[in-house]
Amino acid sequence: MENAPKLSIILASEELEKVHAASLMGSVAAMSGMHVSLFVTMNALVPFLKKTVEDRSFKTGEVGKALLEKAERFDTLLTNGKELGHLKVYACALAMDVMGWTVDDLLPVFDDVIGVTAFFNLAQGGQILTM
Amino acid sequence: MITKTIDARGSYCPGPLMELIKAMRAAAVGDVIEVWSNDAGSAKDIPEWVEKMKHGLVHVEETDGYYKIAVEKKHA
Repeated sequence: MENAPKLSIILASEELEKVHAASLMGSVAAMSGMHVSLFVTMNALVPFLKKTVEDRSFKTGEVGKALLEKAERFDTLLTNGKELGHLKVYACALAMDVMGWTVDDLLPVFDDVIGVTAFFNLAQGGQILTM
Repeated sequence: MITKTIDARGSYCPGPLMELIKAMRAAAVGDVIEVWSNDAGSAKDIPEWVEKMKHGLVHVEETDGYYKIAVEKKHA
């Protein structure tokens, strides 16, 4: 699969709907034979904090409330995408540093903490989506 | 004709697709998997996935408010 099409998703929003959409697109793309990198940056890391999940303190609108009630949670989508395809999830090093977070503070879906240069190397030559 | 049936009713997109993909992985070439879904999004999305992955769409039937989507595994 060296020639598999590449998709990179930049998720910069903590809104649950965008987090869910990015997770869904990433996992379905991976299951459809694409090599997917999901870069979670800035406030988008907040819903991935174990504390946020424990407190269920997600930032949601109307659709997000229904998603929480009825749909699989975004991290389950990502776990499925990783099992069934090529999907890697990265946390933004800058946001982690300024907040003093470590990967242990986050849900266990992250493959690494990386900076922008590493992300651009991963994304080079492929499609990029921003959420 | 149908090798395996998966009842994914009550599951939202992309749940039925994920269930289908898991079953397709375990299936042999030539097997036909039928997935049941009451999610209209999946009824549109699963045939797209089947075409993209070059498997065979056997049928999409709507009965009693849910869809039966049958897919033949064409390659490993």
